[in-house]
Amino acid sequence: MTTKALTFPRIFPRPKATTGIWSWIGTVDHKRIGTLYGITSFIWFIVGGIEAIAIRAQLATPENDLIGPEMYNQLFTMHGTTMVFLVIMPLSAAFFNWLIPLQIGARDVAFPRLNALSFWIFLFGSLIINFSWLTGDAPNGGWFGYAPNSGITFNPGLGMTYWIVGLNVLGVASIAAGLNFIVTILNMRAPGMDMFKLPIFTWMTLVTSVLIVLALPILAVAGIQLQTDRIYGTHFFNSLGGGDPVMWQHIFWLFGHPEVYILILPAMGIVSEVLPTFARKPLFGYGFVVFAGIVIGFMGWFVWSHHMFTVGLGPAANTAFSVSTMLIAVPTGVKIFNWLGTLWGGSIRFNTPMLFSVSFIAMFTIGGLSGVIHASPPTDAQQQDTYFVVAHFHYVLVGGALLGIFSGIYFWWPKMTGYFLNEKLGIANWLLMMIGFNLQFAPMHWLGMDGMPRRIYTYAENMGWETSNAAASAGGIILGIGVLIFMINVWYSMRNKVEAGDDPWDGRTLEWSTSSPPPPHDFDEIPQVKYRDDFWFRKYPETISEYYHDHNEHDQAVPSGAQNDLEEENLPVVSGGSDDGHGGIHLPDMSYYPFILGVGVAGIGAGFLSNNAVLFVGVGILVWGMLGWSMEPVNDPEPEHD
Amino acid sequence: MHRVSKLSFPLRPAFFLLAPLAIALLAACTPDNKQSTFGTAGPIAKDQADLFIFIFWIAAVVFVMVEAAIIYIAIRYRRRSDSDKLPHQTHGNDRLEITWTIIPVLILAAIAVPTLISIWEQQNHVPQDQGEVLNVEAIGHQWWFEFRYPDQEVIVSNELHIPVGRPVAFKLESQDVIHSFWVPKIAGKVDMVPLNDNYMWMIGDEVGEYYGQCAEFCGIAHAHMRFRVFVHEEEEFQAWLKGMHTAPDAPAAGSPEESGKNLFAANCSSCHTVDSTAPGSYAREVSAQQARWNGWISDIENSGIVSAPNLTHFGTHSTIGAGLKDLNQKTLEEWITDPSSIKIGTRMQKHAAVYDTPDKTAKLSPSEVSDIAAYLLSLKPGSTPAGETASSVGGDADGESLFVTNCASCHSTGDDTIVGPGLAGVADRAGSRVAGQDSDSYLKESITNSGAFVVDGFAPVMPGFSHLGTDSIDALVTYLKTLD
Repeated sequence: MTTKALTFPRIFPRPKATTGIWSWIGTVDHKRIGTLYGITSFIWFIVGGIEAIAIRAQLATPENDLIGPEMYNQLFTMHGTTMVFLVIMPLSAAFFNWLIPLQIGARDVAFPRLNALSFWIFLFGSLIINFSWLTGDAPNGGWFGYAPNSGITFNPGLGMTYWIVGLNVLGVASIAAGLNFIVTILNMRAPGMDMFKLPIFTWMTLVTSVLIVLALPILAVAGIQLQTDRIYGTHFFNSLGGGDPVMWQHIFWLFGHPEVYILILPAMGIVSEVLPTFARKPLFGYGFVVFAGIVIGFMGWFVWSHHMFTVGLGPAANTAFSVSTMLIAVPTGVKIFNWLGTLWGGSIRFNTPMLFSVSFIAMFTIGGLSGVIHASPPTDAQQQDTYFVVAHFHYVLVGGALLGIFSGIYFWWPKMTGYFLNEKLGIANWLLMMIGFNLQFAPMHWLGMDGMPRRIYTYAENMGWETSNAAASAGGIILGIGVLIFMINVWYSMRNKVEAGDDPWDGRTLEWSTSSPPPPHDFDEIPQVKYRDDFWFRKYPETISEYYHDHNEHDQAVPSGAQNDLEEENLPVVSGGSDDGHGGIHLPDMSYYPFILGVGVAGIGAGFLSNNAVLFVGVGILVWGMLGWSMEPVNDPEPEHD
Repeated sequence: MHRVSKLSFPLRPAFFLLAPLAIALLAACTPDNKQSTFGTAGPIAKDQADLFIFIFWIAAVVFVMVEAAIIYIAIRYRRRSDSDKLPHQTHGNDRLEITWTIIPVLILAAIAVPTLISIWEQQNHVPQDQGEVLNVEAIGHQWWFEFRYPDQEVIVSNELHIPVGRPVAFKLESQDVIHSFWVPKIAGKVDMVPLNDNYMWMIGDEVGEYYGQCAEFCGIAHAHMRFRVFVHEEEEFQAWLKGMHTAPDAPAAGSPEESGKNLFAANCSSCHTVDSTAPGSYAREVSAQQARWNGWISDIENSGIVSAPNLTHFGTHSTIGAGLKDLNQKTLEEWITDPSSIKIGTRMQKHAAVYDTPDKTAKLSPSEVSDIAAYLLSLKPGSTPAGETASSVGGDADGESLFVTNCASCHSTGDDTIVGPGLAGVADRAGSRVAGQDSDSYLKESITNSGAFVVDGFAPVMPGFSHLGTDSIDALVTYLKTLD
């Protein structure tokens, strides 16, 4: 039993490159993987945005024949699919990757190679779905894929097969990533960082990851059933064969509603970091915000049928899901009030990240309130499947999730690159996005109340929908210009570098304590954590008693560590605690196997779309990759650290 | 460490932001729009609108409070210079937070009560006490609506007629994909789900014409799947019902209408019924529609038959193409010539043999199209009282006219294949195809049970014609045997 006996014959040598394409393909560094997620999903954001602008161009005037119904159906299907699965989820994953180890004082995620695998599967899954554009047969059954319209009888061709195979591949990536972050957050926190000292973004990531791990397998069940319906002629959802199309809706929304919280909770986490930093105050009611997040994550499982109020489930089911849907507005409202409480009495600086975060509160509130309106089934009977609903969820997902993500980009860009994004361009970016966004989506409320259904490629002249549609289309262009300014800002800021330093915003959490950009090993020394917002209290030790004194008076849930510290009058240690010695830093070595496994999964997907020969090649690559992976030690026997 | 430009809150941008919102709000009051959910004409839509307005005002108050708080905070607590002292490091305030948890619960309870009352009022039972209930079966097809009045034995497509003030109980069905039945001014939508029939009711409060539209994405022509609802005074409604049982007058000999009638019989009649006025025709149309569906679904690629709107008294309709265009000679000619110029994706253009041309326009001359249009527009209740006219099938069965009406769009009387085989000399062939079966019984069985003998090389798409009745089938067989 020597190490030699276990050595798998290496087809590829261990990657050693530190620059160039091979360094990216072999990387297991959470920061580099985060960057890959960010760049990839931003490219899809542009694609999804172009799809949106094409949709708005078609709807700008009545009886427009710019884009026919076939292309239009493909555009709205792919716009929804892209923005949900290829943009907001992976952009959030980019933040998870970049920030979670830094926020909890770790050197990497728990399973670095699995992390790389998640990215590669995501990349290939996104390519599979979008490859359909090149065949001219893009998916056209809606991002919700309602049966039986998504089945092979009513939707022949490969379009929806690309869609469902792509989603099944993407699901694997999400589940693996979710597991990885749960384990990372639970097990790799720096010494002293108990759960109630976790930064709030990390908390929301944890809740999101749990939701991902529980929700995506449900989509996988529906996805595999639909895939076999389409490829092998089963009848899970095919009403002609006795399958039940309503079952698809139940399974899809049982995934789909938690998915909404998967999309919004990370943005809520980002906002909960940005607001305290720029108000120079701790988050108001940390415990309430954390519990509100957990409650949302829990109650999110009991509201799915509010997507189905008009399906005919009967008054009893509609009553139950109406009440549960209204209840979930409570923890959401609590968060909004706590954010306002955070700002109240603060010393607020309105830099770009803060503009986006404050706008998040303002816009998300609108989306939340319109959500309460159609939580009432009788009201929803008029709004379901109209532009009112389109307006609602764009206020949640653009006014909420996307503004939160932009806030996060401006906020952490200096940490990720070492340089600021330009402030003036940032404000122009924010302003144009806000004007464009509201001009685009506010009129959709009236369109919905005026009876304009969703997913229609054109509308008649005498319906009174012209003005609002024209405004919405104009807004779409302005929103697009706003995003363009962002790209110009990135380009400009990389040309004209303004150094940010390690802690440009006077931050509160651990990521600001290391250098910008952080070294590959994140922290020279693993920090010792004594307080919530530990880094802040290290910088401003005089505020500790202010914070914890109040706490002891009013709050039952005093963090035990903090109390002890006070009792021992143990003032913070500015330079981290334990010292393993610099020689003790062990980083996982790079590996090609995650990429190879990703290729194998992609090959299996391509096989379902073409023929069994490709499928077997995919399985072969997968098996080979798994064997190679399992035989390759995380670290070579003799690490080559300097 | 604090190397950041000093910026006060950009107030002017905030103004620009709110301006479009305010303008849009002003434009929002549009109860006169055809599908506006305000300005309602029925108790269900009114309840739904009232509930919306109730929740809207609560939401508006919360909205104004939150946005005002944001603006106030942004101005009041903005940092004036980087030398401002650190704010008090408040961690929270339990009493405050519990308060703002409980207040939303109370607000939502206030919303929930009228919501639940409305759910049980609207979705539980048809209000029997508000007048005699009219039963209607509404069926969503890709991409048109069929309305059946089972008690009155009336079938009409895309234009629903109901009496004012009486509850109408709907059974909502679909054979193909999910559609949604929605008349915004009278009642919110309920989906039409295959294998899952739904029930709803509505009352039209005001006489008038109302717009309806399919609200669930149902494929390529979803945008064009619309319909109209006509709410009539009771007498007017009864007159309409009576008209639906009164056959149209026969076209004058040599008129364009007569030519149109023959062209329609030859090219259109295997999918479109025009004679659902006679007693017994309701049941025939129900089974014929089912047969068309079976024909289409059993061979979607090659079917020459497809579910199609019943065109009885089409001349009384106000629109064509499922509520798309006003009905007149010109639009109807456009429609017949090239349906996709009005509605992209119609099944008719894909499947009907008459559109089997390179550019998918009808194999008809402009004058033929004009004749068909004139004929369809002439289909109105005639001068003969209801019940006294025989339908074109049954009665004194004339084999040739039966053939023209029922068979000619798929079978030629020569050797040409249209959809099915040409029938010249069919008598000889029929007698020799199955040992021990003579040509009479072979032909009869082929007509009544079309799947029994499918000639090699042809798809099993022919619907059964047993609804024609024994006399008619005998006449048809006699006629067929004369072909050589």
